[in-house]
Amino acid sequence: MNDILKIAKSCRHYAMCKIDFLDTGLCKSGEEKHYVSFYPQGRMDLYAALAEKRVPVTEKCIEIADTCDLCGKCDYQCYFITEMKPTGVMRALKELVKLHLDNGGEVIAAEDDNILDEIKDIVGVFWATNDRAVALTYSHDPSPVAAPRMPDYVIMPGSTAEISAVVKVLSRHKIPYAVRGNGSSVMGFVMSEGAVIDLGRMKTIEFDEKNWLVKVGPGVAAFDLQKAVVKRGFRVNVAEPSALVCANIMCSGIFSLFSASYGTAADNYIDAEFVGHDGEVFRLNDRSAPNLFAFRKEDSTVPGICSSAFIRLHPVTDDEGAAFVPFDSLEGALDFTRDCAMRRIGIAIGVLGGEYLSVFLSPTKKLAAQVKDVFKEKLKIEYLVLVIGDKFALRSIKEMGFNYFDNRMMKMLNLGMSSLSSVKWFDMIDELSQGESFSYLGLKHFPDLIELALAPSAAKLVKDVDPSVRPFFEKLYSKPEMTDPIWLNMFRILSSRMGREKHVIPMIIYLPIDNNLITEINSEFKRIADGQGLKNDYGFITPLDDGKRCVFEYDYYLDQNDPDERMKMQQAMMEAGMMIERYSAETGTVTWIRYVFSQGFSRKENFLYSTQ
Amino acid sequence: MYSARDSAGRKIFSIQRNSRSLYMTRIKMEVVDNYLLTGATGFLGSHIMAGLLKRNQRLVIFGRSLGGLSLRERIRKILNWFAIAHLEELLEFYETDFMQNRLGLCDSEYDHLCSRGLVIIHCASDTSFAEKNRGKVIRSNVESLDEILKFASGSKAAWFHFISTAFAAGIDSAECPEKPVNSATFTNVYEESKATAEKIIAESCAGHEVPYTLIRPSIVYGDSVTGRSLKFNALYVPVRSAQAIRDIYLEDIRKNNGKKASECMVHLDEAGNLYLPMKIYIPDKGKINLIPVDYFAKTVFSIIEKPVHGSIYHITSNYPENMERLTTYTQKLLNITGIKVVIGRPGPDEARNPPEELFDHLIRPYLPYISDKRSFTRENTDRATSGDHPPDLNYEIFQRCMEFAIRADWGKKLFLPD
Repeated sequence: MNDILKIAKSCRHYAMCKIDFLDTGLCKSGEEKHYVSFYPQGRMDLYAALAEKRVPVTEKCIEIADTCDLCGKCDYQCYFITEMKPTGVMRALKELVKLHLDNGGEVIAAEDDNILDEIKDIVGVFWATNDRAVALTYSHDPSPVAAPRMPDYVIMPGSTAEISAVVKVLSRHKIPYAVRGNGSSVMGFVMSEGAVIDLGRMKTIEFDEKNWLVKVGPGVAAFDLQKAVVKRGFRVNVAEPSALVCANIMCSGIFSLFSASYGTAADNYIDAEFVGHDGEVFRLNDRSAPNLFAFRKEDSTVPGICSSAFIRLHPVTDDEGAAFVPFDSLEGALDFTRDCAMRRIGIAIGVLGGEYLSVFLSPTKKLAAQVKDVFKEKLKIEYLVLVIGDKFALRSIKEMGFNYFDNRMMKMLNLGMSSLSSVKWFDMIDELSQGESFSYLGLKHFPDLIELALAPSAAKLVKDVDPSVRPFFEKLYSKPEMTDPIWLNMFRILSSRMGREKHVIPMIIYLPIDNNLITEINSEFKRIADGQGLKNDYGFITPLDDGKRCVFEYDYYLDQNDPDERMKMQQAMMEAGMMIERYSAETGTVTWIRYVFSQGFSRKENFLYSTQ
Repeated sequence: MYSARDSAGRKIFSIQRNSRSLYMTRIKMEVVDNYLLTGATGFLGSHIMAGLLKRNQRLVIFGRSLGGLSLRERIRKILNWFAIAHLEELLEFYETDFMQNRLGLCDSEYDHLCSRGLVIIHCASDTSFAEKNRGKVIRSNVESLDEILKFASGSKAAWFHFISTAFAAGIDSAECPEKPVNSATFTNVYEESKATAEKIIAESCAGHEVPYTLIRPSIVYGDSVTGRSLKFNALYVPVRSAQAIRDIYLEDIRKNNGKKASECMVHLDEAGNLYLPMKIYIPDKGKINLIPVDYFAKTVFSIIEKPVHGSIYHITSNYPENMERLTTYTQKLLNITGIKVVIGRPGPDEARNPPEELFDHLIRPYLPYISDKRSFTRENTDRATSGDHPPDLNYEIFQRCMEFAIRADWGKKLFLPD
């Protein structure tokens, strides 16, 4: 496989090219034409399929290739996450199509289709297609458990009324369909051999500040919503930046570190509008609406298409700061987390693995590998509890006897990362700690010493970045938000770096913050993945409901293009699933997120404390 | 009256009790053929082990595996360091846990060891000063004594030598005689635990007719002749701290034009020395009682060769060092100027600069020992050693020890070839 094809086949489908998270502007054609096919993600898939002769050159294929202006924005976006530069693939796609045309190759026109005509009458000619090149870009994702499925139709309605009408047509013709918002798709849930209804055009954001809510369309991504909300001085609880807000509620109820105080599932919204499978529109607050607040511990289907949601706005104070409290054991981190949650200290709380500092904050794999040992071996940081709170919360943490890395220190650690491994005096951390782990953080001048030793700067951070994009990244990391832990946790643009080396499969459960139970399950997750030879690591834990429960993520990794690893992952996921079911049955307090999928609008209490 | 016998059943001394104390008469001195040593992987224990092996003594080693290495492997590393790997055959290894019944040994091993009437040298110890580690220190230094003392009494051990510390004397009195601890106040949990341990050992040994000694060294540094050391705490910490601070500023001067250094008035002087304006505050104009490890080991051998039951031995210096001199040595060694020792405490409004704060923090646990007003009598030790005293810590010895430490990267490269 040549390098270009390898890049094309390595797209993680995290959809980060569909949000303007680096302030570069979006891919122009994607922004205009909305189909995933016109974004770098779609072009990567299309190039790989054309190169491997899995699809013919179609009319849309030519349009997709032609509309790429090789602006290079996708290089910045993708490099930020995976260190890949997709422009090479875009160029190769254009060349491949041109060569095909120059050689007089056949161009396949879309087939006439009465049903498609009927749908086009509803949504407009451009917004429904059966073109194979477009269908290909909706046919698969990196999930190791979902086989590719080519849809007959891809439909992009622009309103609730259009969704309703489309659903009625599809139902009448007994055509199965999957619904997506054109956000990230990695679990194989948004594929269908019938139709894919892509709601990516429906990007309305309407504020109702006096009622502390914002109405969002199903095509609104978390990043875009947070950006609009922050401009008005509020905050919302959202998940990964490219995740679609409505779809994300449906799938997992939305959880983030802010769930420690904002909650999850039904806590996140006030009302929502749905189009039922019969095409009828209902609101959750309607007395006759299906009871989506309920939860049943079973695999369930989507109750309808969420066409808008009324999301809760949260206030923000001007004295917020972040505390990264280091721990040398998971138990210590959990005790502290439970304590904070019970006492309602902090707005966002999360137990992060030591890798957070290296993988998330490093702009390159090389630097991440270099600094990993510094945090673990020299600074003895196994886990970090991140608490975001106002000045009173941060003061309380000090009063509880914990020292922490604050905003300033984290900024210096981040920008000075490349010097970390050469800081000789870190060898004296044991002496500095004097038997009391991390007591050195209490030194008044410790930040000065860190600054002195690391001489942090954006230029230093990016010194190993590919020279072709280095000036851009130097400018990027000079922006205050790029080293602001609060901004980074609100917009979550770093978490996608988890998938920098390999595609990540998160194993997610809800359970009590019980040290023994969590330690045991953590070891079990590890044992299972190790048994299959798969890379794996602790993800994070966030307390829920005053620390009575938490959400725990453990991550498995695979090379999505390696059939052997895909098989091993299937085995590992099955074993992990059985393990979770066993703990669930034994304890009565462990809930697998599998059952929350499609029930994310339910009350959290119904699945956190479910006795079924 | 009672007597102790060697492994062959030969009477080696007898002890008589009068109304005030115990008196021992040594009957035979050269018959001891077997020692049992705990703490052989530690700094002092390893030197005792090496010294006994060089005297062709057989040793039973009690200890534990650590960091994926078995006890034997850990000891082997140390034997290599001493270049006496060929003497390993004189050692018997027993992985033990002092917190477990019968030391965690199987019955046959335990009973066999009990039958041998060994001379026990109990050196194992947790040397942490931190109050936060109180539980661990008390467990290691006090609670763990129960099983080893049961073993000593059950086996009719020929002797029980306990390596304590001179500072177990506590801080109630500046004059510290070679007598049982009479202090209720201690600088830290380590001193306190050693004082408690001494009391427990004295009572247990006396009650079970096991002859014993309490050996109290002061602060031990590396070998005065070779400069070699296995541990780099105590004396080494201020020097290492000064070196680290020096290097932080040298790096800033070299790579960042001394931007941060100049904020603290740190700069290179004309002679190429780093001017580091630092005031080191010490609470009292006290002393630092230091002895080299070669002197420590030699003295221990003199004591255990002619032990006197119930005796306490101070292995200390009659001419302790002071911080001013050590600062002068340090500056000379590291090409630094500007460091001043000040008696007292910083004023409430006196701002400490970053290097001062870092240095203060690093040496804080050792402050009681670098401005120590205690003095230690050593009649028993003088008798045992015929008045042999430790060498003064002159610059040559200091330089030798510190250069070794720097070469060993303060322990990181300790087990790499020299």
